Amino acid sequence: MNSDEKLRLLRSDVDLFAAAQPDTVLAALPDWGSLAVLLIIVHFEEKYRLTVTGAQIHGCRTVAELLALIP
Amino acid sequence: MPLAHGSSGPLVLQTKMHSSLSNIRLAGLAVTTGSVVRNFIADGLAAGIDRATLERTAKTIGLRERRVATPGITALDLCADATTRLLTEMGLDATSIDAVIFVTQTPDHSQPNNASLLHGRLGLSKSAPTYDLSMGCSGWVTGLQQAALLCAHGGAARVLLCAGDTLSRLTNPGDRSTDPLFGDAGSATIVEKTGRSAPLHFVLGADGSGAEAIRVKQSGARQPVGSLTEHTDAEGNRTHDANLVMKGADVFSFTLREVPGAIESVMRHAGYIPATTDALVLHQANRFILSTLAKKTGFTADQTPMSVVEHFGNQSSASIPCALIHGLADRLEAGPLKIAGCGFGVGLSWGAFAGEIGPLTVAPIQTLPR
Repeated sequence: MNSDEKLRLLRSDVDLFAAAQPDTVLAALPDWGSLAVLLIIVHFEEKYRLTVTGAQIHGCRTVAELLALIP
Repeated sequence: MPLAHGSSGPLVLQTKMHSSLSNIRLAGLAVTTGSVVRNFIADGLAAGIDRATLERTAKTIGLRERRVATPGITALDLCADATTRLLTEMGLDATSIDAVIFVTQTPDHSQPNNASLLHGRLGLSKSAPTYDLSMGCSGWVTGLQQAALLCAHGGAARVLLCAGDTLSRLTNPGDRSTDPLFGDAGSATIVEKTGRSAPLHFVLGADGSGAEAIRVKQSGARQPVGSLTEHTDAEGNRTHDANLVMKGADVFSFTLREVPGAIESVMRHAGYIPATTDALVLHQANRFILSTLAKKTGFTADQTPMSVVEHFGNQSSASIPCALIHGLADRLEAGPLKIAGCGFGVGLSWGAFAGEIGPLTVAPIQTLPR
């Protein structure tokens, strides 16, 4: 899956990212916070069978960096 | 061996630390909660958070109200009240109890332990041993396994298992990621030796490498409570070193990684599948976690009680008995029900169980003071 497809899947699955672009800064998202982190963990787990930690997510600055966690 | 499951990937099932204990039964359950009702929306508005954010969080996480203890009421008081009510309901004398196990991480003192204090308060027999288990959200299952062991192989005919905490005292009101979650409660469970052969199955485990994910830093011999300075994290949550601090995302990752496999493992030992299991009773962390776990393990929402957290909050080790009573009391009294369940949390640790529960005596959930 290429990065465009990963972004499309994230946008459709997690409302928070509905209008996100690769260079969108996570902390600038209107509803960014602990709940958003949980939603990302579930998204990665359900769509990619990938378990990520809070530290990994908090280590990402942009949406592109977040999607780069997916192998 | 990997087992396909739910909507997600393969799991490696846990095969060690499985036990099957026969000739025992759960004979009674009671829960007493704190009496002060705290409202998630009202508290959030008072903290300056906008209503839309609060309502969105409340809906997703399942937070509405929680019940916390009034000053001076401890986990020991809550469990003692639950025990007294349960013994009355069952028509039992306290001297018939052969052992006391008390699961808590908010004991009255570091010495003596809560189980001994309860022993003295209830006037139990001198032949009844007492011990505490320092465990949190997974502790009721471990305590149940210990109580079952005492009945199956330890010479006891009737064991009192108390499990409860007052975690609301440990959180910082300025920590919006943790403080709104916890309620205070104490439970009493009576486990008895019987001639019934249907076993209860247990799978227990721990991952101490994640122990920092839930911690009260200044609380013991390593770091006694001393001078306290508040820290503010990137999201504006304030805590000091004597507060319970939880890395929610890491606890959630741990839960997704370990709990589904533990549940499927214990169900395999019991010969259970979701379609023919009456209920999946989980530690009531929050609705979001419970619905995710139910989905991953192939259970429906109707099979999975989730309402404790929105009425009472996360009650630590008292939450599974509270969920059994709140969601299944009538059916348990008529029993038996095929139930699977799992506690998970601080440690990090988990305990899964599966087996027939009921018919048993259920004392209604009450507050202290009433």
